[in-house]
Amino acid sequence: MSSPLFAMQSLDKRFGQRVLFEDTCLELETGNGYVLTGPNGSGKTTLLRIVAGLEPADRGSLAFRAQPSALPGYPEVWRREIVYVHQQPYLFHTSIEKNIEYGLARRGMPPAERAARVRDALEWAGLSAHRDVPPHKLSGGEKQRAALARAKVLNPTLLLLDEPTANLDGVARKQVLELVTALCIDNHTVVVASHDPEIMRLAILNRLHLADRRVKTDD
Amino acid sequence: MDFFGPTSHAFGLLLSGDADLWRIIFTSLACSLVALLLISPPAITLGFLIAKVDFPGRRAVVVLVQALLSFPTVVIGLVIYMLLSRQGPLGFLKLLFTPEAIILGYMVIAFPVLVVFTLSAVQGADPRIYETARSLGATRLRAALTTLFEVRFGVMAAVFNGFGRVVSEVGCAIMVGGNIAGLTRNIPTAIALETSKGEFAQGIALGFVLIAVAIGINVALAWLQGRGGLE
Repeated sequence: MSSPLFAMQSLDKRFGQRVLFEDTCLELETGNGYVLTGPNGSGKTTLLRIVAGLEPADRGSLAFRAQPSALPGYPEVWRREIVYVHQQPYLFHTSIEKNIEYGLARRGMPPAERAARVRDALEWAGLSAHRDVPPHKLSGGEKQRAALARAKVLNPTLLLLDEPTANLDGVARKQVLELVTALCIDNHTVVVASHDPEIMRLAILNRLHLADRRVKTDD
Repeated sequence: MDFFGPTSHAFGLLLSGDADLWRIIFTSLACSLVALLLISPPAITLGFLIAKVDFPGRRAVVVLVQALLSFPTVVIGLVIYMLLSRQGPLGFLKLLFTPEAIILGYMVIAFPVLVVFTLSAVQGADPRIYETARSLGATRLRAALTTLFEVRFGVMAAVFNGFGRVVSEVGCAIMVGGNIAGLTRNIPTAIALETSKGEFAQGIALGFVLIAVAIGINVALAWLQGRGGLE
């Protein structure tokens, strides 16, 4: 049996006296989609942030592509393949085009190739007409779509989405939902932390549930 | 005291391109700009590190830098004078009463202004900036630069405030520069000297230049902030 794309072993995490995770384990298989559920305050965001290397854990180990890393260490090379999108994404104070180009530039991609990839990503997110627009002129749904495009353009091995449809309703929510579904179908390994019933109902997603300081699967 | 006579004479001096007057203006602006150029990179870096990195003694460093902010510039001048004087530990450099000594003094004066303003700007920055940059694959250094770019108006305000502080400084410049005509005489020291001699015209002319510089700095900052909004 092949090893999982990402594995978390014996993870402990506490904030002061509050124990969030205790001896928690998690395995993510290549190409699978997951929806991470749990009550408010159960640690969905913290779990994604630990996987993304944005939050240190107190104890435990991580492994990506069978390469282990004892916490709190987090190999820099993983950041090239694991991308996290905040619940309320931050867009840099420049154009949407430059925002989407940011990660590609960090990877040293030639400008011509970057331009083509950014153009495709803008089209994918339905933001081609907004390429030169500064973020403060976008709606909440457009900002979320821009953040998804900025993550997708990097073709990440593991994509972590934190409540992508929270704070959205109507058409904006529907558009973001379509993009999230497309990402899950598109052979990416995706973990979506969400309360959204429509995301939770997506048949292509495996269930991960946070309860009693651990991650539980539905199998 | 006649106000209008010396003032009109002052404008005459400015508009006639009086060499002595423009030399003083040049010395002032050149020393201030060079000092800012030299001290900005380390000061901004320190301000960023204090804001973002939790290290032992961080609080003490913040208190020290804030204390430096309120140090009288003439005391800073006195310390540098003692360091650079012939018997001082840096006397061998032979910098006392040179523009370089003034630049050194200005660097010390501007340093805490730059650190504190940068610290404040970075502390007030949205933590998602750094995290987003890191998550998109930026190195720590690149994510730090991205954060500084996002709070660039705060950083620019730091630099402009530092410039404003040194360009109008008189105590340190007199002590370490010596107010030597054609060499270290700058706008504030010249105003002090000319006024003490009862020569108001040159003092008024230089005063107008200082006011113009102050207004220019604020106009430049406001203009840059407007452009930054990509309006």
